[in-house]
Amino acid sequence: MQFLTPLTALVAAAVALPLLLLLYFLKLKRRELIVSSTLLWKRAVQDLQVNAPFQRLRNNILLLLQLLMLLALLLALAAPILSLMSGRARRHVLLIDHSASMSATDVEPSRLEEAKRQARIYVESLRDEGFLSFRGARDQTMVIAFDKHSKVMCNFTADKRQLIAAIDSIQAGDGDSYLGEAIMVAQAFTQAPDDEPANQGSQETVKLMLFSDGQIADLDQIIVNTDELMFQCIGQSGRNVGVTAMRARRSYENPDEVEVFATVANYDAEPVTTDVQLSVNDDVRAVKSVTIPATGKGKADSGGAGPQGAGKVAVNFSLSYAEAGVLTVRQLRGDSLASDDAAWAVLAPPKRLTVLLVTAGNKVLESALRACSLYKLDIMTPSEFDANVPGYPNGDGSGLGLEQCYDVVALDNHLPVRTPRCRYLVFGRPPNGIDVSVLQELENQAVVDWRPRHAVLKYVNLTNLFAQKCYKLDLPRDAELLAEFNESPALALVRRNGSVFLLAPFDVLDSTWPFEPSFVLFCYNAVSFLGMQAGQNEDANLLVGDPIVVDGLVSGQSALVDGPGFSRLQVSANSSGSVRFARTDRVGVYGIRAAEPAAGGTRLFAVNMLNDAESNIEPVRQIVASGVEVQAQAAAVGRANLPLWPFFVGFVLFLACLEWFVYNRKVRI
Amino acid sequence: MERVKATTGRKRLTDLLDPEFMNRLDSLDVLSRKLLQGKLQGERRSKRRGQSVEFADHRPYVVGDDLRFVDWNIYGRLEQLFLKLFIEEQDLTVHVMADASASMSLGEPSKELFIKKLAAALGYVSLVNNNRVTLSMFADGVVGQLANMRGRNYLHQMADFLLTSQCDGLSQFESSCRQIAGARIGAGVMIVLSDFLFKEGYDAALRRLIGRQYDLYIIQVLSPQELSPDFGGDLKLIDIEDADAAEVTVSAALVKYYKRNLTAYCNELKDFCTRRGAVYALANSADSVESLVLNYLRRIRLLR
Repeated sequence: MQFLTPLTALVAAAVALPLLLLLYFLKLKRRELIVSSTLLWKRAVQDLQVNAPFQRLRNNILLLLQLLMLLALLLALAAPILSLMSGRARRHVLLIDHSASMSATDVEPSRLEEAKRQARIYVESLRDEGFLSFRGARDQTMVIAFDKHSKVMCNFTADKRQLIAAIDSIQAGDGDSYLGEAIMVAQAFTQAPDDEPANQGSQETVKLMLFSDGQIADLDQIIVNTDELMFQCIGQSGRNVGVTAMRARRSYENPDEVEVFATVANYDAEPVTTDVQLSVNDDVRAVKSVTIPATGKGKADSGGAGPQGAGKVAVNFSLSYAEAGVLTVRQLRGDSLASDDAAWAVLAPPKRLTVLLVTAGNKVLESALRACSLYKLDIMTPSEFDANVPGYPNGDGSGLGLEQCYDVVALDNHLPVRTPRCRYLVFGRPPNGIDVSVLQELENQAVVDWRPRHAVLKYVNLTNLFAQKCYKLDLPRDAELLAEFNESPALALVRRNGSVFLLAPFDVLDSTWPFEPSFVLFCYNAVSFLGMQAGQNEDANLLVGDPIVVDGLVSGQSALVDGPGFSRLQVSANSSGSVRFARTDRVGVYGIRAAEPAAGGTRLFAVNMLNDAESNIEPVRQIVASGVEVQAQAAAVGRANLPLWPFFVGFVLFLACLEWFVYNRKVRI
Repeated sequence: MERVKATTGRKRLTDLLDPEFMNRLDSLDVLSRKLLQGKLQGERRSKRRGQSVEFADHRPYVVGDDLRFVDWNIYGRLEQLFLKLFIEEQDLTVHVMADASASMSLGEPSKELFIKKLAAALGYVSLVNNNRVTLSMFADGVVGQLANMRGRNYLHQMADFLLTSQCDGLSQFESSCRQIAGARIGAGVMIVLSDFLFKEGYDAALRRLIGRQYDLYIIQVLSPQELSPDFGGDLKLIDIEDADAAEVTVSAALVKYYKRNLTAYCNELKDFCTRRGAVYALANSADSVESLVLNYLRRIRLLR
């Protein structure tokens, strides 16, 4: 038997026991009664109270009962538990999934809350080093919450209150579920030297307790001793309907026309009919009723069937909307997972770009840019550009800055003397003053890797890009590498002084790119991205966990972020004038604005789940880790110890009844 | 005597004794275990040889004897003068001492009424038998007395005295007995009615009465609450006479000790009386006076 709070009981005993004895000696307020003579009563009392007070105590069954009662109460206060666990102490790691699917409410109140409840029971069942126990068995436990990333909520400790507080502090998220990082963290902490002498180090067995619904993306990649892994499957039903894809774009021919594409998936075994609603800035514009086939029967337009063949239906909306706004696609059928019932898209106002091409004569680039349906394409020679940089005193004196005149400046093998604040597409040697240095010139470089999901490289295939000559760049740490040659960066995005530079450190004409269709696509994407047309849209439509990045602020300037569940969260711009906000772990619309009202309006960002794997909330009772099947535990976590305080309280009640009975028996004449 | 209030209206004996009871009392008389010398010629034999019709003995004539009592028949046979002696019949003095201290007013039914009824019954029996009756009420001394009553004429006076007297004040039994013994009304039957719960004790007081020529009867009257307490819990018991307080937790154990003490106290009193030739009787105020008088007092030969 152990006591969870022995010190409390001892302190209470030190106060209560003397108090009880003292109270016993205190005089009672007695009822007065007139009698003929007190002669015989005094004699009777003398006979009864024979000698010393201690004799009274010894013979007083009422006091004995009260002392017993107090003792039982004090023991109950010490929270005694009867441990049913045996063996030597172990180390436990509680891995608690708080990804989007764990927010499902098929288990009341939610899967995450159920996981936390079971984790709390598990922690309470662990063996503590009893205050009055001579055993040294003391289980050490660690709590890790994981979704796309893992977070150590509590390092190894035997303090149950700390562990339970750590479990309670786990918040629901809308991210993916990746276990690998959590396992790595757990293993790292397990093997770390421990400062507590009671711990036995790495030779001690570690028990991994996984609380999840089994929908884990990287199960095939984790390496873990499955004998140490206990899987507690949380969840009952997989019924869910969710929006798994959404995109809104303006028509290429008519920018006022907006087309919205969405995919609604059904993870139920039965077909489902639901209404899909489109709203713009919370004004409902259209509702469509769709019937989604059952799991395994649907076929999406773009993505095909889901991981487990979820039934999918594509829903398209068209509307005329010539302003900026937030589009929301929402399926109106209530289900157990709310995070995927809606998807948002931030729509920029229609804008056609004005581009300045600074070149000594590059027809390829010029024709590629002209193909981009720009509002205006101006062409300057390098000398004209240097002599007439708009907005500079030695320029043409138009008074307007370069940023006001042009959305994008394309520099073709030109090293400008100044780079006023604007967005630049740079071919050849990068400009000075942006912390990018040229190490050497390289020859015969081929692209080895690129980021096809970046907005600049969307639908761009760089497989055949070969540069005869290029500059080897030394990029700053905050630069974004988009494509790599075998020895040098091929495409990089650098933000400096409020300007954005998309660097391609080679001459287009010295490469095979002009012969590739990807060149035109790249130019279109790059101009759109840089011109804040497509680029802003891409930036504004994020997935859960993607950081919000806002450029163009002054270094150190504060900005306020509003989002689902919080408001006016203050963040500061870094030295390059960018604000990064990474806490996009819930779906919804986020707004970021400069702290000073005069600094501009609010920029909106849509953070969506759009995750087929997380929308599929079917609990998986058997997972395969390291090639070994791990079966979920048949029953929920139960207590491995027995709290004894209710028995003591019951005993107190019994003693109270007994005391009342004895008292009445004694007083009754 | 000052505590005996003057009556505003005539009290009646029937307030204490009902007629049927009185009828039955008419056939009783007070019995003395001793032949006591009275003052007046009465209906009772005395040790004294005197003028009566009951022969007692002969004795030789001496000069100066009354020649009327010479037994001439013996002179005829023996030619010697013998004088006939007769047992003189004298009256009996009955002295009833009733406790009138404050403690007597307690009890349900009250000891005061019981004692008054008992005194009235004893007085009635004595008066109708032409005994000389003295009724004394005592507390911290003799607080009221009706002395030397004889004959039925005194019945109403006795009733009036009893009914108007109040129980109040401390009890000082020894002082009261000293007063009565000092008054020395004469030999006779002395009946003491009290609860005998005297803190200073009863020994010295009773010795004053026993030492005289009294045929002493002690009747201890206790209330049912004193005999068997019916209260419990944490109490502050206050003595009605001297306001002495006793803080007790009346439990079954304490009551057991109380009863044990009460029994011992009564037995001590009884032993004290028995050893000194007095008769002790214990009465419960809840019992009927009629039953006590007609049965118990006859059994102990106080009445016949």
